[in-house]
Amino acid sequence: MRVVVLCSSPYSETGCAMAARLAQAGRTPVGALTLPAWDRQTLLRKLGQWGLRDCYRFARSKVGPAPANRQQLRNPYLQKMLAHESGAFRNLFQVARHYGFPVTTSPDQNSHGAIDQLKRWSPYIAIFTGGNIVREAALKQCSLGILNSHLALLPDIRGMSSPEWSVLQGVPLGITIHFMDSGIDTGPILLRREFPRPPGCDSFSDLRNRMIAAAIDWMAETVAALEAGTIAPTPQASKRTNGRRDDSQYFVMHDRLKALAKRHLTKIESTTLKNAADHAGVRNG
Amino acid sequence: MQISETVSTNSKPSKAARALHEAIGLVRKPLRIVPLISKIASDAVSHAMSPRHLYSYSATKVPSSDVLQSLIEWILRAQRVDGGIAAYYSFLTGYSDSYPEVTGYIIPTLYDFARMTGDAASISVAERATDWLYSLQMPSGGFPAGLHNSAAAIQPSVFNTGQILQGLVRAHLERRSSESLRRAEAAGDWLASVQSPDGAWSGTGAYQGQAHTYYSMVAWALAELAAESGRQRHAEAADKNIDWVLAHSRPSGWIEGINLQGHPSYLHFVAYVIQGVLECGILRKRNDAIEAADRAAWALLRKFETHKHLAGTYETDFKAGQKFACLTGNAQMSCVWLRLYEVTGDSRYINASLKMNELVKQLLPQSSKRELNGGVAGSYPIWGSYQPMRLISWGAKFFADALMLEQRILHELEDAAAPGVSRLEAATSEASPCAS
Repeated sequence: MRVVVLCSSPYSETGCAMAARLAQAGRTPVGALTLPAWDRQTLLRKLGQWGLRDCYRFARSKVGPAPANRQQLRNPYLQKMLAHESGAFRNLFQVARHYGFPVTTSPDQNSHGAIDQLKRWSPYIAIFTGGNIVREAALKQCSLGILNSHLALLPDIRGMSSPEWSVLQGVPLGITIHFMDSGIDTGPILLRREFPRPPGCDSFSDLRNRMIAAAIDWMAETVAALEAGTIAPTPQASKRTNGRRDDSQYFVMHDRLKALAKRHLTKIESTTLKNAADHAGVRNG
Repeated sequence: MQISETVSTNSKPSKAARALHEAIGLVRKPLRIVPLISKIASDAVSHAMSPRHLYSYSATKVPSSDVLQSLIEWILRAQRVDGGIAAYYSFLTGYSDSYPEVTGYIIPTLYDFARMTGDAASISVAERATDWLYSLQMPSGGFPAGLHNSAAAIQPSVFNTGQILQGLVRAHLERRSSESLRRAEAAGDWLASVQSPDGAWSGTGAYQGQAHTYYSMVAWALAELAAESGRQRHAEAADKNIDWVLAHSRPSGWIEGINLQGHPSYLHFVAYVIQGVLECGILRKRNDAIEAADRAAWALLRKFETHKHLAGTYETDFKAGQKFACLTGNAQMSCVWLRLYEVTGDSRYINASLKMNELVKQLLPQSSKRELNGGVAGSYPIWGSYQPMRLISWGAKFFADALMLEQRILHELEDAAAPGVSRLEAATSEASPCAS
């Protein structure tokens, strides 16, 4: 199976972990396409998401001298995938060198250069872990399509701040792996699984980190199932309420509502992941 | 807002004449150039620096209660000697004369603030404003067009009468004054008497003699009056107008028929249409109206969330026009979204309003000059084409309404215990509109 990983930055822990996880499962990517490390949009977005102090800490952990202890990941739940020597992989180039696949940097995943590179790799599928909105021309370069993992159950909660909106709207927490299309989180679904709040998880940043780690595992599982032919995509049910189309699109949540959602989060009964998997709505074709 | 419409309809000064008038204002008080330049410079800098990516929204650390206080203080200072509220404070010419229309619909805002905070000064200003409005009522029951003492003020205006009606109904509720109700009923009777058979208002008394869908704001006032007077005539007039307005709905949610000749459909007017339809729909228990408002408001919400701002003007099917921000339109949309949250329980509406309120908060002038502090500009940047170089009293009114609604809803939400509880039933029975 020829797989390409699309990343928002060579320093994206999610992108690195996805590439490493695939390689560890015996499906080393044929390549990784990443936006530059100092992409202006990504920097602005991260500053907005994390704040200046956390951005500085992250940059120092990635480009400064290697820390003495092993705790150098922003998302500690990715440690098992990124473990390397006495610490962890610090960037995509290290992962690529270790597992033996090429990395190409492009300022835009939809640029001519990026599309030409995708043509050369001729992937069966690509896995999106971050970057630009992927346009039609790039989507067409993968025989099957581009996969995305969305941190909510589709089609109930589309768009941004999805774990927070799930909690606020009383929709079960979950992860959906789906093909990307021209809409926002509207493509056919391959896997849709609930992710009940793990014990001790009382903040959205912790919840999100745990969900990302689970999503990477479930993405690897999905790729394996695609290769084995045991899974098939199902189109999303279209929702229409009050004449609104695409009624389930959500947007970045305001801090006041996030605080409210956090209060609700701690009230949700926690369940172990094992139990969650037992009653999850897995859709394997 | 009828300022530009009434002035331009009836006395129609040319652009050059208006510019000359403003320039003379500056010559008379040349020191006004200092805050003007300061405002232009600060708007230019913030306009260039504002981040607009998908994860961003404007944020301030200024509590809404503080901003609300400064908005109300700005309105109180804008009360003129005669008791009316000035239409605007111009950076070039200072305060305008009293403006009957805005004075009318500011009255509910002042009473709402007084209820929320116990502020006696707001009640006092509202009462003086009401008494002044009494003095303007024409024998027909209608109220005059334009600024007080302007050439336009000799003929009655449908829109002004509708907005003043909001104030009279509220004054009746607060003061239990039979005179307020009698005058409100006379105004309502006049509005019903000049309504066309199709439900629109056109001809004498209508701006440019044309029918406009933003007169749904008049229907809202009539629906409020009907709820108080219990008179079928007023309710029927409101319903007829909303029927006419809804006939202009398009599949995109856009409601055609703002119909202003000579200037674009500013967001202020687009929001008027939606706000009038929504509030009238709630009062008259009309799902067709609420759904039409919901479709239109949702279309604008998506634009706001995607682009991080709303355009200053829109064309058919919400095609964005001029890029400046029409701040009063922003504040009105915030009111609409908050009310739709109350009606539908859809949290995305309150989410968008919180962001919009933060955006508008950031753009209020912070100044030691009393006339500026707490004022809401017509446009951002200040040189945008809607009421340029002016702080407008209806902008302060709508933003105060939005912040009061925000505070009320957030308090209710934060007190609520369980997630995912449907609020629809409770909200529709308890909801009270912006400024009423």
